[in-house]
Amino acid sequence: MAKYFGVIIDEKRMAAIKGTPLEDKVQSIFGGALRRLVIEVSDELGQKVIDQFTKARFDARGYIEETPAAFKRAVFKRIAEMKDLSEAVIKKVLEEDLDKVKEEAAKEDKELPVPDIDISDVLELQKNPVQKPA
Amino acid sequence: MPEVRIKTLPPPHGGKLVERVVRDPQMARKLMEKCSAVYDIKPTLFKGNPVRNVYREIMSVCYGFFSPVEGSMTKADLESVLERRRLTSGWVFPYPILFDISEEDYKKLGVGAGDWLLIRLKGEPFAILEIEEVYEIVPGDVAVRTFGTPEKNPEVVKVPFDQKHTGYNIYCSLNPIVLAGKYTIINEPKFRPPFDRFWYPPKRAREEFEKRGWTTVIAHQTRNVPHTGHEALMKNAAYIGDVKPCDGIVVNAIVGAKRIGDFPDEAIVEGHEMVHLAGYIKPERHLVTFTLWDMRYGNPIESLIHAVIRQNMGISFHMFGRDHAALGEYYDIFATQILWSKGIPSFGFEEPPYMVDGGFYIRPQNIEEFWFCPKCKEFAYSANCSHKGIYSRYSGSFIRGLINEGVMPPPEIYRPEVYKVVVKWWQKFGYPFNNEKYLKEREERLEVDLPHMELPAHLKK
Repeated sequence: MAKYFGVIIDEKRMAAIKGTPLEDKVQSIFGGALRRLVIEVSDELGQKVIDQFTKARFDARGYIEETPAAFKRAVFKRIAEMKDLSEAVIKKVLEEDLDKVKEEAAKEDKELPVPDIDISDVLELQKNPVQKPA
Repeated sequence: MPEVRIKTLPPPHGGKLVERVVRDPQMARKLMEKCSAVYDIKPTLFKGNPVRNVYREIMSVCYGFFSPVEGSMTKADLESVLERRRLTSGWVFPYPILFDISEEDYKKLGVGAGDWLLIRLKGEPFAILEIEEVYEIVPGDVAVRTFGTPEKNPEVVKVPFDQKHTGYNIYCSLNPIVLAGKYTIINEPKFRPPFDRFWYPPKRAREEFEKRGWTTVIAHQTRNVPHTGHEALMKNAAYIGDVKPCDGIVVNAIVGAKRIGDFPDEAIVEGHEMVHLAGYIKPERHLVTFTLWDMRYGNPIESLIHAVIRQNMGISFHMFGRDHAALGEYYDIFATQILWSKGIPSFGFEEPPYMVDGGFYIRPQNIEEFWFCPKCKEFAYSANCSHKGIYSRYSGSFIRGLINEGVMPPPEIYRPEVYKVVVKWWQKFGYPFNNEKYLKEREERLEVDLPHMELPAHLKK
């Protein structure tokens, strides 16, 4: 059974593939709330990716998930460079970018920048919880 | 005509709710006098990382979550559980519950059958183990037999378990000596916030249900911050009830050492609480609770411990989704639903667990899947919606991947208030998920603190 690797396409990434054949391959998910590109890979190659990262795994949809953000960045960079969505992209990353990805992933495992968003509304809601300690 | 209304809560599993907690300090001192040795609890480590703490099992036994189990299992009970998922008394029970120590500690303690052991947690007296039997185990063998193999359990086990499976690692990392016998808590731990407001052990849960007038209650198992698919599952599964939908929806989070990459338990319980604080389910109908248990990720086997826990809490129905309490592709993704719809003979279930002797009163609500469908304009049930290519399937791993990349999940995936709870704990711990640092600090901090209690003189040496 084939496996899949999805890369989320934000505005910046969309701009990087604008005007290329990749633009037409962008899929809309969750009713257009997110966009992604998908690479189909063999079971064997999928497993090879999983084996590189301790948290990585296949999810119930057959997607390779929980790979480091550094790996996803590297895959997108190669997609944009090679203008390709075949498994050759993943092979290239594993062959040429893996050391750097692993180095960045080790940092990523320790710290991720906290999003700069206002959470005061939920702190207010939590001031008077319905459930009280015993 | 048969009565279709459900008028009472189900009885505890095994008939009687276990409660082995001494609250009288004088009685606690008397019991400590009978102890001949003291043992400080150590976490179970796998490759240096904590994967289990036996204190959580002692809590769950003594507060009745695991009724009728009263302590660390005897050799006969262990064999019975591994062979047929039953205690020697005949009641269904899926997992070995063991107090394991190293050979070195065993020699140092100098205890044997008939002795009482005082167990300390965070440097304070915590519980007593009345040693009934001492025996040896081969941890790897216990691990394999706990989860099954493709050869012995071909109905649902797809590939052999290995070191990528956290639950398997827990059993492989056990010490070889087991002290079997009943536990009694003699110094009641106090839960730290935010866990304190979600602590509803079976007796308290049943009292709360009665106070609220609930007789039909459905359980939602969780190890996740809830996405909108979970919310749809909770709301829709709760339509089962009797002559009306269930009175109550109880979220029961499994709190304990977990997999690196999962959400911290603090964010999980508060994330679920936010579903009612922000008004997505009325708080009068929604209760968030937890059980202490270092999750084994045993899919169908885990569903049985969930049934034990939730029936003991007084819950009548249990929702089981795809990939229930699973990790990786070791089991068929519908293994739990296979168990609860027709049984798994190789695991000792010729019929579903509510139809076998020693089985459950709690009834399954096997749910396929909810997904987001922009054409249906709803969180659609997979058995209804046929808009292939349009709908989007949920995946916890996918959502964690988004957060990891710094992408805020859209409201179609997470309620904004729920995501902000994730951010709250991200600010606190410096990381949105369990990482090595969090798990190590968490293991030192635990979920509880213990009041100071003096040791008897003979144990101070």
